[in-house]
Amino acid sequence: MTKITINGREVEADPKRPLIAACHEHAEELVPMYCYHPGLTPVGSCRICQVEVKMGEMPPRVVVACRTPVSEGMVVNTEAPGAHDARRQCLEFLLKNHPLDCPICDKAGECDLQDYSFSEGQGEGRSVEPRRKLEKRKSLGDTILLDQERCILCSRCVRFYEDVAKQPQLTVAGLGSRSVISTFADRPLHGNYQGNIADICPVGALTLKKFRFQARVWNLDKHPSTCGECSRGCSISIEVLRRREVKRVRPRYDKDKNKWWMCDHGRFAFDRFNADDRLVGGFLRGAQGLEPKSLERVFDDLAENLRRKGEHVLLVSPWLTVEEGELVRDLAQATGATTRFVSPAADTDLRDDFLHTGDPCPNRRGLTELGFEAVEAADVSTMLAGATCVVLVGESVGELVTPEALAALPRSIRLFLLDTRAYAAPALRGALGVPDASERTGTWINVDGHPGRLAIAKAAPDGVPPLERSLRAVQERLDAGAEVRA
Amino acid sequence: MVIVKRKELSLMERLFLPEIVRALSHSFRAIFQPKITRQYPEEGLPTNEVTRGQPRLTLLEDNETLACVSCGLCEVACPAYAITIDGQETDRFIEREPERFEIDMLRCILCGFCEEACPKDAIFMSDELELADFTRAALVYDIDKLKRPKAALQKRIDYFYKVNDRWRKSSSTS
Amino acid sequence: MPDSTTLLVWLLKAGLIYGGMLGVAAGMTLAERKVSAWIQWRIGPNRVGPFGTLQPIADGIKFFFKEEVVPRDANPVLFRLAPMLAAVPAMLTVAVIPFAGDISIAGVQTTLSIADIDMSALYVVAIGGLGVYGVILGGWSSNSKYSLLGGLRASAQMVSYELSMILAILSIVVMSGSLDLREIVAGQAGAIWQWNIWSQPLAFVLFLVATFAETNRHPFDFAECEPELVGGFHTEYSSMKFALFFLGEYCAMFVMASLTTTFFLGGSEVPFWADAPWFVQLGAFAAKTSLFLFLFLLVRWTLPRFRFDQLMAIGWKVMLPLALANVFLTGALASLGVYGS
Repeated sequence: MTKITINGREVEADPKRPLIAACHEHAEELVPMYCYHPGLTPVGSCRICQVEVKMGEMPPRVVVACRTPVSEGMVVNTEAPGAHDARRQCLEFLLKNHPLDCPICDKAGECDLQDYSFSEGQGEGRSVEPRRKLEKRKSLGDTILLDQERCILCSRCVRFYEDVAKQPQLTVAGLGSRSVISTFADRPLHGNYQGNIADICPVGALTLKKFRFQARVWNLDKHPSTCGECSRGCSISIEVLRRREVKRVRPRYDKDKNKWWMCDHGRFAFDRFNADDRLVGGFLRGAQGLEPKSLERVFDDLAENLRRKGEHVLLVSPWLTVEEGELVRDLAQATGATTRFVSPAADTDLRDDFLHTGDPCPNRRGLTELGFEAVEAADVSTMLAGATCVVLVGESVGELVTPEALAALPRSIRLFLLDTRAYAAPALRGALGVPDASERTGTWINVDGHPGRLAIAKAAPDGVPPLERSLRAVQERLDAGAEVRA
Repeated sequence: MVIVKRKELSLMERLFLPEIVRALSHSFRAIFQPKITRQYPEEGLPTNEVTRGQPRLTLLEDNETLACVSCGLCEVACPAYAITIDGQETDRFIEREPERFEIDMLRCILCGFCEEACPKDAIFMSDELELADFTRAALVYDIDKLKRPKAALQKRIDYFYKVNDRWRKSSSTS
Repeated sequence: MPDSTTLLVWLLKAGLIYGGMLGVAAGMTLAERKVSAWIQWRIGPNRVGPFGTLQPIADGIKFFFKEEVVPRDANPVLFRLAPMLAAVPAMLTVAVIPFAGDISIAGVQTTLSIADIDMSALYVVAIGGLGVYGVILGGWSSNSKYSLLGGLRASAQMVSYELSMILAILSIVVMSGSLDLREIVAGQAGAIWQWNIWSQPLAFVLFLVATFAETNRHPFDFAECEPELVGGFHTEYSSMKFALFFLGEYCAMFVMASLTTTFFLGGSEVPFWADAPWFVQLGAFAAKTSLFLFLFLLVRWTLPRFRFDQLMAIGWKVMLPLALANVFLTGALASLGVYGS
């Protein structure tokens, strides 16, 4: 560790990291940055991170913090008038060609250029030259849209593909004021990590097509959660508009799992949170097929069926949390039922050596540690043959087993479905809505054993109780019945 | 401490009656004063460009497209959370337009913050003051109910520019 | 036993006079609002009928359709009785007021008043004293602190001011030597300076002030006194029972205005026209009475309310001594024969 002084305070800085990292760690005032990103190689192209450094007896100099190594005895002043002045001038040049379309820009509200212009900029431009005119709606593949006018050429996106994704696809093409970000030979972007360049773009130049004009970012409620698309369990932030609709999922920094990044597969999988064909409330089979019944009645009936003698199977969803898994295990012990979790087929073509594990089962490790054994989705039908009462528990379990397999189950099986969606099946005796991953709390254990918390990002539809409450209610009924018999 | 001395009343004042007669003559004379009552539904309220009535959306010169780009600044500025906006993409040069623009007139407090927040001169306070309906839902105004030709709001727009002239000069919109 | 024609004529008279009085009471509710509006530079009710003239009818209909509420802890009998007690005495008093002199209806020679009794002044005082019962009972039976206080105030106030009023009437009686209102009116016949107001100015002022207190009108409306007692004695009343209290108040105003006319302004006598026909006399009576009714309104919308201790101080320390002195002076003058025979 190296001893330096930042804004009058003596601190210890990591000599392997640039000065700006030490400033961010120790100075109270944030040193602005556009081209610098802690996960990328610093290049010092934007010059916005200038701070004043005094070494020994030399007069103080204004240097670029992201390209200055930390050395013993440095006296850094991030708030020096000279540094402020240099940063203000940088901003004026950056804003010279940056269009004033904040009102229609999706980045507005989380835009670094806006923030620093507000805190450090001079408020008005002196340039009388026209702004450069470039292409405002350039598509870079299926995911990303490039607005060349807004780009400040920080080259973060270029370096992301070089340093992180390890497959260079972008470059800065052209010279001088005609420089633009471009793919090689204008080929569309490919790969599973395109969305990250929209996250790290400090301005609104690279935006997600899927999020284009969907919401103003200040209207989004951000809820820390965990991605459920593979067993990596990336830390994410689920962003919800008006407490109802998930509009965007973004990676959340987690040093153990995904750092700053996430894959497009997980990023764009949130549509299922917005599905409106949800199973809401409780249903029991009556004279007219499945009839809506109160939750209490469904719990009673489920407990009654589990109490009967026979071969019971509790088949749970791979998205079940550890907490819910424990309750299912208790239920199985009380009824002597067999428990299995449905293991979906691996996405081998999505597997890579960066984030995606190819195993679309976010809690495989947690469920296995709880004692659940996996059953391949294809083998479910053979496993259920001969069972008397089958309870499918958890989000999307019906979809994994496939509706056709459900419909093909013989009527001799009394089937209960605790799922987010309803499926028609002759064997179906009762159904109950459960919340999806954006509507409940809990823990998933990822492939490396790191826990990932789920958070309630939006409310479950009316009439959908938390799964844990439903399981406890059934357990209570079983316990009460056992006492009566004893 | 201030000591207020009670005023010594003269004999005439202490008799009460002369003073009462004076008061009665005063109110009697008031009967013949011109009346100031405004017969409201028949006589409308006087409005001018300073009137801050209900907010309305302006149309561009073609009287079809809204000036609004659904930036959401009025939504943020609104202290009563009366405005709800959803954007969508268009083929125009300005790529964004509102898909949904709703003002809940039951929540609107006619403060005029939306007018001040708007960077596109798309929302102005009109001189329309009357607001009544039979259901709550009918008072959530959508674009069709809100849009007005620019000419209808021109007086207010001129006044708005006059008042904010200095502020406007120092930060021109591109 | 009078014959059937006479009986019919009496019934007709009674019907006309009571109907007229209720009409005046209804009109007064409109007049009250109109005058208050004019004094405040407003227009007043003008939506129901031409110039709002049908407003009292609309108000009446509204009162009938209002929900009738009897508080749970109220005394059920007295609570219902009180509004009647408030309205009836005022109506009874009107029976002896001579609205006009002789009149011939269907060949029956009679006078335009319901009853001709020779102690009508005493009758007026006696019945007028009953008016306070409605207010007290209404206030007490409501079982509400505001109503009770309103009723208490009303009783104290009415007793205090009745004294001065009776003494003022007494001096008139002494002067005219009769308890019959018709005689008192006849005594003021002839020129305008024959009116008692000139010979008894002090009694006039005392009587006038006492009428305001007796009718619970501003500036003496302590029985209601909204800022202190919510609604006073009628806080708990609603619907037509509430309306009856107001009917009683406006009838009382009419009666008091009529009595002031009778005692001090020569009643139905037309100055310088001794044998005027009955309708001219009635017109003269109506004109004089309207003057006082208007005064009631004007005072209400001009003067602020007194404080209760001020009210009592004026009643007992100023008006009563003055009234007593006036009676003594009148008596002395009468015994000296100043007023003739």
